[in-house]
This record gives sequence, C-alpha cells and structure tokens, in this order.
Amino acid sequence: MFVLAEKGMKIIERFIPMRHTDIRELLKFEKTPLNLLVAFTTLVFLVLFVVGATNYLIHGHHAYGVTREHPWGLMIAMYIFFVVSSTGLCIMSAIGHVFEVEVLEPFAKRAIHGALVTLLSGFVVIFLEIGHPLKMMIYNTISPGLTSAIWGMGVLYSLYLIFIVIEFFFLLRHDHKWAKRFGIFGLVVGVAAHSNLGAVFGFLVARPVANGIYYPLYFILSAMVTGCYLIFLMYGFKYKLNFPPEMQKTLVATSKILGLLLAILLFFEIWRMLTAIYGGMEDRAETALHILKSSPFLVGEILLGIVIPFLVILLSNGKAIRTMVFASLGGMVGIFFMRYDLVHDTQLYPMQTLKLREYQLPPSFIEYFPSTTEIFIALGAIGIAITLYYIGDKILYLETDPD
Amino acid sequence: MANYGMALDYKNCINCKACEVACKEENGVQLGADKHRIWVGVKEIEGLWPNLSIASSTFEPSQCQQCENAPCQEVCPTQATHYTKDGVVMVDADKCILCSYCMEACPYDARYVKEDTMTVDKCTFCSDTRLLRGETTTACQATCPTKVRTFGDLDDPNSEISILLAHREHRTLKTHLGTKPKLFYLI
Repeated sequence: MFVLAEKGMKIIERFIPMRHTDIRELLKFEKTPLNLLVAFTTLVFLVLFVVGATNYLIHGHHAYGVTREHPWGLMIAMYIFFVVSSTGLCIMSAIGHVFEVEVLEPFAKRAIHGALVTLLSGFVVIFLEIGHPLKMMIYNTISPGLTSAIWGMGVLYSLYLIFIVIEFFFLLRHDHKWAKRFGIFGLVVGVAAHSNLGAVFGFLVARPVANGIYYPLYFILSAMVTGCYLIFLMYGFKYKLNFPPEMQKTLVATSKILGLLLAILLFFEIWRMLTAIYGGMEDRAETALHILKSSPFLVGEILLGIVIPFLVILLSNGKAIRTMVFASLGGMVGIFFMRYDLVHDTQLYPMQTLKLREYQLPPSFIEYFPSTTEIFIALGAIGIAITLYYIGDKILYLETDPD
Repeated sequence: MANYGMALDYKNCINCKACEVACKEENGVQLGADKHRIWVGVKEIEGLWPNLSIASSTFEPSQCQQCENAPCQEVCPTQATHYTKDGVVMVDADKCILCSYCMEACPYDARYVKEDTMTVDKCTFCSDTRLLRGETTTACQATCPTKVRTFGDLDDPNSEISILLAHREHRTLKTHLGTKPKLFYLI
C-alpha cells in the first residue's frame, strides 16, 4: 500500500510543487510542549472517532441521543460547523486572490487548504448521520427532489468541492489566472451552497423560530466570522505568535474586517431576538425567550463567539493580533455553540401540545443531550480536520511563494 | 381517482386507544411509545381541586393530516415522500435515505423511524393494506366503538364524509400554516 501511495505521490508531484516527504518525515515535528499537546489531543480524538464510528455502524441511530421529537442532533451541528468553516475560509481567501485585496493575499492558499480540509471533515460527519448515504447518492441523482433544500445543498456542495479542488490545484501551481477563474466559481457556488444550508432551516414552516430569511443570510455572515477566526488560529499556531512584519499587516487588516463583521452579527442577533419576542407569534416568542435565558446562547454564542473578540478588536483598534489568537480560540467555541444552538433551538418547541399518553406530562420544551457516541464522533472529526491540515501543511507550499 | 380525507367527531372519543392498537396490528407498526402512526391527545382538566371543570377534559385523536400542501413532501430530497393518485401522502421506503428532514418539517409530529427498514414511516390511510385489499375503511375507523372517524372520498359529493362536512362545522389543525390538512375535526 505504501508503495502504491508513493507512486501516486510521484505522479501528483509532476503537476503540483510539493515537498518530497516519506511517512517517517511526515511524523517528525518540533517537540515543543504545545506541539506535543496538539499531537496527543489529535491522536486521542482520532481514537475516539474510531470508537464512535464503530459504535454507530453497529447500532445505527440508536447510538445517538436523537428522538422522534428531536430527530437532528450533534452530528448535524458538527456538519454545519465544518461546512460553515469551509465557506468562511473560501470567502476570506477569495477577497485576497480573486478580488485582489493585496493585504489579504498571503493567506489565500492556506485558507483554501483549510476550506478543503473542513469540507471533507464535514462530509465524514454527515455520512455518519444520514441513515443510507449510498442510497442518497443514487436517488439524489435519479430521483431528485427539486423543491428540497437538502437536495440543493448536496448538489451545490459537491460542485463546490470540485471547484475549490481545482482552484487549490492552480493556486499551488502559481497559475493565478486560472486560480482566479475557478476561485470565482468556487466562491459563487460556495455562497449558494451555504445559504442553501441556511434555507434548510429557513424553509421549515413548522418551526417559526427558524422559518424565514434570517438563516440563509446569517449563515454567510457567520461563515466569514468563522473564516477570520480560523485564519488567526492557523497563523497563530504556525508562527507561535511571533508574526513577521508582513503577516502582522495582514492580520491587522483581517482583524479590522472581523470587527466589522462581528458588529453586524451582533446587530443581526439583536434584531432576531427583538422580532422573535415582540413579533406577535406566541410559540416563536416563547422559544426565543427560552433561548435568551440559556447559557449556551449567552456564554457560548454571545460572550465567546461575539463580544470578547469584538472588544479585543475595538479596544486595540485591531492591533492586538496576539490576543486575537486566543480570542479566536474562544470564538470557535462560540461558533460551535452557534451551530449546536441553531439545530437544537429549531426543535425546542413541541409540535404536539397535548398530552399523548396516560401518566405522561404535557409536552414542554423538547430536551436533548448528545450521546457519548455523538460526542466521540464530533471530537474525532476535529481530529480528522487537524490531521488533514497537518499533512497538507507538511507536504504542500501553503505560503504565497514556495519556501 | 379519489381524494381521500377523514372527519373526526373527536368529542365522541373515550380515549380507549383501540384505534392505536388496530393501526399497529393492521400496519405492522412496532411496539414502543415513540412508534405510532396515530395517537390520542389528552387535554388536561382545568381548574384547581375541588373546582375542576370536567367539561374541559377532552380527547383529540390524531395522525398524519394528509396535507394537500405537505411540507414533508416538499423537503424530501429523493422524492421518497410522494402523493398517490388518491391524494395520500406516502413514503417509498426504497428511496428514503433517513435524512429525517421530513420529521423536522412536519408540523404535526406525524412521522417516526420504522426500525426494520430504518426509513421514515407515517399513516397511509391504510392504502397499502386495507384499501389495497378492496376494503373501504381504515383500521382505526373500523375499530372505533364510538364512531369518531369517517373516512372517504372528499371529491364524491355523495360520500359519507362529504355529506358530514357539508352539514357539520369543522376545523383543521394549524390551518394558518397553509398545509391544507385533510383531517377535519367536527365541532
């Protein structure tokens, strides 16, 4: 198998400039405490993934904490978490290399690499959520439900994957003309796919708290925020906070864009809550009030996801880029809660308002907590993303010019 | 071609749950609290003891509303959920990928996962069992001791259900959502 892999690599090397690396070389890294911590955590996550995925393959959806009333759980939230990250990185990359905003160009390749890695990790998660993934590929093609947002999303994300792979290929070859062309396709299809994912929730007439235009727009905005956080994390880790002057300029510009995006996101959140609570729809208002009082929303989404990074940018005029790396770590935790909450909150309000059986209390807000298997797979998918990112970082030239 | 619907004289319901049992038996619905095609909702008695309003306690038998504008059908990515020529919303188990989007989209919580095929299932008005055998009633209707349910063709002006709906006031559930349910609750 290794011989085959090596032969395959040699063929790829003819087309893409790569560092010649063997397996032993690939596993070598500087043994700093941080690197060792990340390596150990990743390894643990990968083991958890194997355990979780095996348990799912044996027990199916019984291994998950989902129910009839709460059919979507952590897996859907993680899928959204990853594909949002992918679209965000793609958009941020495009600002630099497609729209030629020079100061943001240095991270174009690394961001697209991140977009690919997170998209693939998202696909891994969704394959472990859909009951019949192989049947999905067949019947999505021969019996398409054209009115379904999930069908649209599936098609568009598949196209998006193809476009960003080609875009990445040309970026690695320093063929900026073609990279830009496919970058435009990737960007347009990526934005379409991602807003379609928002529409998966926006189309739900049964769920007033999600129904409407909010999610398709919010998904794009929060994707860009996620893209910025990940850029801070990728470069913070790469340079161990000692940024070269050129990168400092890039990150200050990124943090200023992020500041604007966070302000708009906060504005979005405020109006979402105000219209939901005072909009005159009882079930939507009750759900919104319930969300407003929950700690995942207040601490996760608002404090970690928006307010802390926003204050860091505001108080430092966008120049505290080292602090922003830490704020971005918290920001990604906040982004996770945004995804988790949007899936959970959509299903909070019970569809049946009457008691269904004797000795059963009337339905209240639907409760859900992920099972161990779901948590293992979710952490495992993060492990997969870090591993794929590490491999790409090792063998590809991800900076503007070859090292 | 018919346009099947059902009228429920729900105030006659005595919550004996014979309909739930008959449905499970006829359609092979598995045992278990979360595996049901039909159910009886219970409205609790209002007031504080000893001033309890006995009249406030009512039962509301329900099931898939067989919507004319079904959200579950619109969101299905593989057209597994479809309308039959008789206007019944059905699931083609061969095409169902268990993405659960229909369960998410149904405003009536009428869908559940069928464990033996691992696909989503729902009330079919006994289309694939009793009606297929040439019978004209559903299992829940046939077994009901107080004749709560009347099933029939809404397009036939002489059918029992059409006559009933012409003479009795009725309402549908969550009408404001525009799903056009074909389960009518007689007032």
